[in-house]
Amino acid sequence: MNIELIDIIFYFLAIVVIASASVVVFSRNILYSAFSLLFTFVGVAGLYVLLTADFLAITQLVVYVGGILVLILFGVMLTNNVFNVDIKTGSIKTLPALVLTAVMAGVLCGIFFFTQWTVRPSEVVPTSTAPAIGMALMTGYILPFEVASVVLLVAMIGAAMIARRDTGKQN
Amino acid sequence: MIEQILSNMWYIRPEIALTITCLAAILADVFFKRKALVAGVVLGGLLASGVLLMEQYGVSAPAFSHMLAVDPFSVYFRGVILVTAMFVVLFSLSSVEINNPRLRVGEYYALIVAMTLGMTLMAGSSNMLMMYLSLELTSLSSYILAGFTKNAPASAEASLKYVIFGALSSGLMLYGISILYGLTGSLDIYAINHVLMTMGANRLALLIAGVLIMAGFGYKISAVPFHFWTPDVYEGAPVTITAFLSVASKAAGFSMLMRFMKVTFIDSTFAGPVGTWALIPGFEFTNILIVLSVLTMTLGNLVAVWQKNVKRLLAYSSIAHAGYMLMGLVVLGNDGFAAVLIYFVIYMFMNLGAFFVVMLVSNKTGSEHIDTYKGLGSRAPLLSVAMAIFLVSLTGLPPTAGFIGKLYLFAALINAKMIWLAIVGALNSVVSLYYYVLIFRNMFLREGTGSTEPLKFALSDNIILFLLLIPTLVLGLYFTPLVQFAQYSVAMFGVR
Amino acid sequence: MASYIPIFLMLAAAAGLGIILLTLHQVLGPKHPTEEKLSTYESGMSPIRTARERFSVKYYMVAVLFILFDIEVVFLYPWAVNFRALGVFGYVEMMIFIVILLVGYYYILRKGALKWD
Repeated sequence: MNIELIDIIFYFLAIVVIASASVVVFSRNILYSAFSLLFTFVGVAGLYVLLTADFLAITQLVVYVGGILVLILFGVMLTNNVFNVDIKTGSIKTLPALVLTAVMAGVLCGIFFFTQWTVRPSEVVPTSTAPAIGMALMTGYILPFEVASVVLLVAMIGAAMIARRDTGKQN
Repeated sequence: MIEQILSNMWYIRPEIALTITCLAAILADVFFKRKALVAGVVLGGLLASGVLLMEQYGVSAPAFSHMLAVDPFSVYFRGVILVTAMFVVLFSLSSVEINNPRLRVGEYYALIVAMTLGMTLMAGSSNMLMMYLSLELTSLSSYILAGFTKNAPASAEASLKYVIFGALSSGLMLYGISILYGLTGSLDIYAINHVLMTMGANRLALLIAGVLIMAGFGYKISAVPFHFWTPDVYEGAPVTITAFLSVASKAAGFSMLMRFMKVTFIDSTFAGPVGTWALIPGFEFTNILIVLSVLTMTLGNLVAVWQKNVKRLLAYSSIAHAGYMLMGLVVLGNDGFAAVLIYFVIYMFMNLGAFFVVMLVSNKTGSEHIDTYKGLGSRAPLLSVAMAIFLVSLTGLPPTAGFIGKLYLFAALINAKMIWLAIVGALNSVVSLYYYVLIFRNMFLREGTGSTEPLKFALSDNIILFLLLIPTLVLGLYFTPLVQFAQYSVAMFGVR
Repeated sequence: MASYIPIFLMLAAAAGLGIILLTLHQVLGPKHPTEEKLSTYESGMSPIRTARERFSVKYYMVAVLFILFDIEVVFLYPWAVNFRALGVFGYVEMMIFIVILLVGYYYILRKGALKWD
């Protein structure tokens, strides 16, 4: 019973993700694209939950839905005249793009179906992943963890530098 | 675990010094608001980091649970990166473009240090997560630095193009990493190699993963299908940053690519002669590299011929140089890698030198157009002679260092019986001679149209010029120590 | 895994309730439209100009900074649940992380990136 329910949930989420992602790509209005991204992000968070990656799912919600999406909407608003023709998406070179995409999709699908993937036994999956991630971050992965703070620092300086208005005075 | 982390701190002391320098530069800028002070802090920090790096000479060990490998190879590349960073800071001090009073400069130096930190980590990363993170740190800093003179439209455009191409290629790279992780269940490149050797993996999946990851490396070293950003960014960015990107960023990309290739895909059961090695059977990574190499140098050289902006010309020339150096990877042997290492030190001096001259000329004339160089031979004889020597060296003609670099590359190719590739490389050098000679001709054989009064340069500028000029000449005649050092530095932790 | 199923069921119920209520309202509610009623600000002031204007870049700046500190919080959480097990050493590690970010925060404060003038 439960297994079937999980399958249903998976396919539901998969459809939500793919459909909303298609709207993001194909919508002629950038605002619809931006809002559609919300459903893509939430759907992906749901997929993470299905994979018992609960910490990742929360991160997805907090950072992507709560942050990146707002940023993208601000980005849309920063552009002039939201409903003008200028920022509508268009397609150029449709045929080469289609061929390339089809080849790429074919190769990737081939890989996914015919490859022997490394699968972890399911009993080692912990019920809650946050403590395990915390321990890993503080021990084995301490170096990338600290480097991440420098990456954030650089992003902060960059944002302040690019977004500020140059007044010409040295302060 | 705690003891292990504490004892591993020794291995990242140069990086710790860089982090502290970066923070100190930010704080010094905020508190004292003096450009010279910030530059001084940064130079001191880079020097300190260099001194700490020298202590690691001869060490070969993993650090932080195999996140980093500290070995002669990484020490060599970190050295190249640090020296380049120091030169770039020195350049910046005399650059008119950077010292424009409308720009705040403190964060500029802090970002240079952050970028240096990212690149030194790239040189040592032996874990895909660490590789990606340090690559992103480097890229993020360089996006901002490329758009530093953001009031110049070309600079803003450069930054934007750089971000978009960077996002695309790092996305492709992540995809490749995820496939590799799915195949092997590990991010540690030593563990990946072990799994690939013992369990094997779907060759097609492995090849696709390799190609996708190559997109990330190709972008950093501006190899051909991923080079589109290079001319615009090199032209639009401040010339100091262009010099930095063309040398240090490329060095970091190459070091990461070389380590990734030699550790991840090496066939550990290969029993050929010492100093040669083989990739995992059935994995045709070398063919991809050969194609990339030929495309990169040919396109770089052919397009450079048409350029009228000297900065853009040097951008295409640096694409071509990436192509030459990729030839050294194809050899699958330590002599090929050593040739790349030798080439990098020489490339550092000659390319930085050429960009420094471009910067000095643009300081005085405000232009980078090739016509600006007309009659420069009589207006600034020293500068013109120096530029001529750098250009001769970039072409690869004796008696300059560039000749030695190419000599070792071609020798490695011929030893590996890849004579046709060596011929392609040599033909490319001939093409490159044409566009280098264009600048040469303008400097010495053409009359200037505008002002003819002599250009005067500060003593400090002349000293920096000589610091770059002397090695370019000396290494062309007395190169044994460099060659020995490079041959020694080919050793990576954990692989034969 | 099974413990997440109630969450999905609740999400489905919430979405379903919303859809049902909207449909019912559409079907059952009386409709007497006039031009005045259909205007966007029916009981408010009439709009003087378009709302679709270019926003100040400062909004973007704030959003970027929000994301950066958001990510910091994401890193704080897994450390916090292990706080006792990691002890002083973990505390120091986290402090290094936070101090590096604090320098950035101090920088943006002093550079006036958060000033709204």
